[in-house]
Amino acid sequence: MLAVTGLTKTYRRGPRANDGVTLSAAAGQVYGVLGHNGAGKTTLVHQIVGLLKPDAGTITIDGHDVVADPSYARRACSIEPQAQVPITGMTPRQAIGLVGRLRGGRAADVQRRTADLIAALDIEEWANVDGARLSGGVKRLVSFSMAAVAPGRVVVLDEPTNDVDPVRRRLLWTQVRALADLGAAVILVTHNVVEAERSVDRLGILDHGRVIVEGSPAELKESVSSDLRLELVLEPGMEPPPMPEFVTRSVQVGHRVVVTLPLAETSEAATWAQGLQRDGRLEEFSLAPATLEDVYVEILARIGGDHAAVLAATPLDMLPEAVDVRAS
Amino acid sequence: MSVLRSYVLLIAWQTLRNKTFLPLMIVVQALFAFGIVVGYPLLFPSIDPFTILFLATGAPAITLITMGLVAVPQIVSQAKTEGSLDYMRTLPIPRLVYLLADMTVWLGIVLPGVVFAILIAAWRFGLHLELSPLIVPAILLVVLTTTSTGYALASVLPQTLANLISQVLVVFVLMFSPLNFPPDRLPGWLASIHAVLPIQAMGEVIRGTLAGNVFPLTVAPFALLAVWCAATFTVTGIVLTRRG
Repeated sequence: MLAVTGLTKTYRRGPRANDGVTLSAAAGQVYGVLGHNGAGKTTLVHQIVGLLKPDAGTITIDGHDVVADPSYARRACSIEPQAQVPITGMTPRQAIGLVGRLRGGRAADVQRRTADLIAALDIEEWANVDGARLSGGVKRLVSFSMAAVAPGRVVVLDEPTNDVDPVRRRLLWTQVRALADLGAAVILVTHNVVEAERSVDRLGILDHGRVIVEGSPAELKESVSSDLRLELVLEPGMEPPPMPEFVTRSVQVGHRVVVTLPLAETSEAATWAQGLQRDGRLEEFSLAPATLEDVYVEILARIGGDHAAVLAATPLDMLPEAVDVRAS
Repeated sequence: MSVLRSYVLLIAWQTLRNKTFLPLMIVVQALFAFGIVVGYPLLFPSIDPFTILFLATGAPAITLITMGLVAVPQIVSQAKTEGSLDYMRTLPIPRLVYLLADMTVWLGIVLPGVVFAILIAAWRFGLHLELSPLIVPAILLVVLTTTSTGYALASVLPQTLANLISQVLVVFVLMFSPLNFPPDRLPGWLASIHAVLPIQAMGEVIRGTLAGNVFPLTVAPFALLAVWCAATFTVTGIVLTRRG
């Protein structure tokens, strides 16, 4: 349904934000666009919805050239922008309802759908409160509802979970899936790799404006490594243990040490960790397949560059006090 | 979706968004008009009926012009900075409809002030005004030209610069434009600039439709304004449909 080919965009007096981006998303699919800050994600979606004009490349929706016809893009796409949409003066119910009708929805349908979304996202408490008095998370959910009330063939969600509490995040992901089930192609922009893994059907990772890898989360994990990750939680005051030979990488954050190791070494690793726990050096440990985040870091490490170097040394929680214990 | 429906829905959107400020803005516009009609004559130790009539019929024009050139750039700059302008641009609404809906809201803000200015003038100085039906196209031409200019200014320039320019414009309009006084009091070079700028013509069409018995209406200022209106509308249309 949505096909982007060779999309290139350079800002005046700025960097090349998109450099030959090619990707496609089908109806009913949630397509994740991942990448670090400044990777070109928002530039990409702003071209899809017709806010920016590409320097080169094509964008088609259902075969229709939307670069040449941005008004078609506006009809075919609904967007939740990265920045909050100001709705001061309006209540969430009014804002969602008006956008639904401005997008061409029938009054009765829009009213029903607005009520359904408000209920599904558990924001009824604020449905009739002025937009100026809403918290960031509720505003975010209202912005989502504005994109979902009369959805386009393509629904673009730019960082939809920012500021949203964990319980409502789950409700939100259910609604994102529901949008795809209604037949929309959902473009989900995020830098939250952990959440994306659970929610997307396909994804592309952007780095410096280029798609460096594309596929389903499973394909991506398979293509990069079949490694396991072993997470060790140290007893307070304990130094990290010396790493055995089979460990390919280890990173410490506070009293947690995340160790990557080949699948074949599973039983040996478990024995080692059990021994450490018996000796009172570990509070607990867990052994699991590599996550998409591990893959993400691995891919960036492979392609090299400044970001990659930083990321490769940065563990899950992305905390600044990360220390590579294997090197020490 | 029908153009009319988008237009009505957008007016509802903008009215709701600004509902706390709208009454305040209406009052400020009315106060502004009141100040010109009642305050300006205090500058003169003795004032003749012609000057009074000039001031009284200049006030509505000044109110309309400052709305478009000062208030509109500030409102639009604000909308641009907070991201609502870009958001509205993603909705499936023709840009022209968006512009017209905004203009309608602004017209609603400024019209009470204009009516108030006329009533105050009539009451304060016991003027007998001869309203012509041409006042409707006259007001529309002035509002369309000034608001689209203000819109384009705010769309193209960063907020601080747009605000600064609107401040300069207000000084130019209030002090150096033949709205409260006849153009022959200006230095020759400035008078000839005003002969092609739309400000003087705006004053003339409003004055002529309010007191045609003293200030006869001619086609020339309407024609000049129509040209300016078409030009500013075209430029604003281009600015609005432009993609970065």
